[in-house]
Amino acid sequence: MLELRLVQGSLLKKVLEALKDLVNDANFDCSATGFSLQAMDSSHVALVALLLRSEGFEHYRCDRNLSMGMNLNNMSKMLKCAGNDDIITIKADDGSDTVTFMFESPTQDKIADFEMKLMDIDSEHLGIPEAEYHAIVRMPSAEFARICKDLSSIGDTVVISVTKEGVKFSTRGDIGSANIVCRQNTTVDKPEEATVIEMNEPVSLTFALRYMNSFTKATSLSNTVTISLSSELPVVVEYRIAEMGYVRFYLAPKIEEDEDETKP
Amino acid sequence: MAQVETLGILQDLESLLSDQLQVVSYKWLSRNYLLPSNDAKRLLQEFVEKRGNGFEVVYALSGWLRSNPPSYHIRLVSGPKLAEAKQEFDGSCSVQVYSVQACIPKDPAVLWNAEFVQAEELFKQPSTVDNCLRDNRFCAISNAFIKRNVEGTPLSVSAPQLQSGVGLGQSKSNLTRQNVAVQQSLQDKREQFSSKVGVPSPNVVKEVKSESNCTGVNDQVNKPPTNREKVPSVPANKKKVQNNKSYSGTEGSLAFFRNRASAKSKATCPSETSNGASADAQICAQEAVRIEGVSSDDDGQDMNFKRASNGEGTRKRRVVIDYSDDEYEDAVNLASPDTGKCGQDLKQSIKTLVPEKSNSNFDKHVKDKLKVKENVKIDQRSPLVKDDSSAVTSDRTTGTSPKDRTCSSVPENDMNKKDTLTKTAPDSPKRRKVLKTRIDERGREVTEVIREGEETEAEKAKDGTAKKADSSAMKKVENNTVSSNVNRPSAAKKSPAVGNTTPSNQTGKPANKKTGNKDPKQGNILSFFKRV
Repeated sequence: MLELRLVQGSLLKKVLEALKDLVNDANFDCSATGFSLQAMDSSHVALVALLLRSEGFEHYRCDRNLSMGMNLNNMSKMLKCAGNDDIITIKADDGSDTVTFMFESPTQDKIADFEMKLMDIDSEHLGIPEAEYHAIVRMPSAEFARICKDLSSIGDTVVISVTKEGVKFSTRGDIGSANIVCRQNTTVDKPEEATVIEMNEPVSLTFALRYMNSFTKATSLSNTVTISLSSELPVVVEYRIAEMGYVRFYLAPKIEEDEDETKP
Repeated sequence: MAQVETLGILQDLESLLSDQLQVVSYKWLSRNYLLPSNDAKRLLQEFVEKRGNGFEVVYALSGWLRSNPPSYHIRLVSGPKLAEAKQEFDGSCSVQVYSVQACIPKDPAVLWNAEFVQAEELFKQPSTVDNCLRDNRFCAISNAFIKRNVEGTPLSVSAPQLQSGVGLGQSKSNLTRQNVAVQQSLQDKREQFSSKVGVPSPNVVKEVKSESNCTGVNDQVNKPPTNREKVPSVPANKKKVQNNKSYSGTEGSLAFFRNRASAKSKATCPSETSNGASADAQICAQEAVRIEGVSSDDDGQDMNFKRASNGEGTRKRRVVIDYSDDEYEDAVNLASPDTGKCGQDLKQSIKTLVPEKSNSNFDKHVKDKLKVKENVKIDQRSPLVKDDSSAVTSDRTTGTSPKDRTCSSVPENDMNKKDTLTKTAPDSPKRRKVLKTRIDERGREVTEVIREGEETEAEKAKDGTAKKADSSAMKKVENNTVSSNVNRPSAAKKSPAVGNTTPSNQTGKPANKKTGNKDPKQGNILSFFKRV
């Protein structure tokens, strides 16, 4: 028996919007600690990890660990039927092959039940080791989304270089090249507008912009994004979900030689 | 022997309670282990005495209240409140263990949820199967004159009832519906039980007393109804108890609502699927596969496919494949007009059938994966060819792989083959290319690679009209070509529509080659993280 009641239903909608372009089918794992998901995109280049902690739910009941295979597009279709202010309850019975989404309007005068069939999905759960990253950049998520969007109109890949001065995003394409540098800036009125760079050593890595762009679908979840880079590791693009958890995207870098071509 | 059996049950109980966190009520216990309910109560009591630490106990108190006028009252009370609750009763009241659970549930409905589900299952059994609810075998009162209707009450009767009733009332009415009591068949079984379970173990003497109180009580309550309603009376009591406990209005009613909703959806589930099937009946699409080259990487080879089927498919149907880098949304929309009727039907079937899962399908799924790999090889080759010839051909028809071809079914002919059709994106995707695969009217898979960008919208409009021409042209397309370049008449139609995109195609081409070269350089996430 599983019953999760999320007052801020729009959050789940946003999460799905963020994930569904990257991953088609995924297992949602429910345990006493929370509601989580880990999935790779089909080309095994990117990985997404979602965690919604149980504390963030108004009511969280999960009698035993449960893994529910869902098609994210279908789930998203159902969640689109929920209003932004609706309270969403996810329910599933042990051994059942369906999951029920219940949407309650804020005034309680409308209650909708959507039952979705589950699917069996081979889950390949990856162990993600805790790692020290060479550089961690925190910046406004909208800014990051804008940069990725802009650069993708010029090139296919982005080189992210972190130095003491700031973080540089650069690309090169047939029509030319582009460099965007964001300097550390902590003197803003609102903390969420700050750009903070913590760097142990300079890092420069190349990534496919296509993936970066699909990560930025999560922009609505958080005002800030944290980008953690290490030369030996996939980049982590993390959007924190206030008081609930996070969505983390991992993207394998392109291999070095490649950089020579794309680097200006 | 009896002791051993009892011990086994006690152990089971412990694992049920602590591992599965189930609420174990005496009714559940009675039905699950085929014990008389009084024995079940004793067993629970024994359990509580022996290993009750760490578990919460709910007691059922029954007796006359002190209130004026005196009323007969049955109340469920949690362990800590037992003494307090006893005070409210006049004189002695019977105290029985009602249920044992890991913790007191917030939602009172949880208390009877397990047994409700169990009762539901028992009633769902084929009418020819005897079970403890049908024959009322655990009832203390039996009436030899009542003959059981061998046919049983059709199940369909009970299902709707579940939906319409409220809470426990439902199960009660269901129970009463059943014609109960056939003694003969029971006889053996009962003997079995009694030998197995053994009657009250010595240390239960105390409870025996309260037990007897209890039955007396039940009799009182049940006087108005006939004897055979003895078993149903238990839920009735419970219902009463619930009311008495006066749960906060909304909570309670909401809980009912939820339970009802879930029961209902369960019941209607089969009919839903059959609806789905009938919607599809016209096209007999029992199995559908949809693949979207949704998010293929610049560099990666991508196969994104969704698969759906409702199991006993007799036909297969496929596929809208759209492959596009940046116009993904558009491309998807595009697909439906392009695929015309097939596409619509397909969509429909996808909608209704999608997450169906079954083991047999799963096996197929695996096969499909293999097939995908084959296709990948083919497709990998094709882009290269295309690059050479694409100056001439902006449209291209790629024959499906031989396997797919044999699989593809023709809507008009009832071909039975179905396996999925799998589509793969070429491995050197680039921004301006849209790869579409669809079924023409003769059921063949047609893959088109269209180089274009923003003009897809315009083309969309054209496609509707172009479709017919396409499909007739399609018929001439040689099925056997694995990856042949065919300039279809429709290509001519499209190129004007796409006129504007020609330049962009050209710019796109070099980019394509470049990304193609880079493909191998994209790292794989699996080389960083190990599978658990």
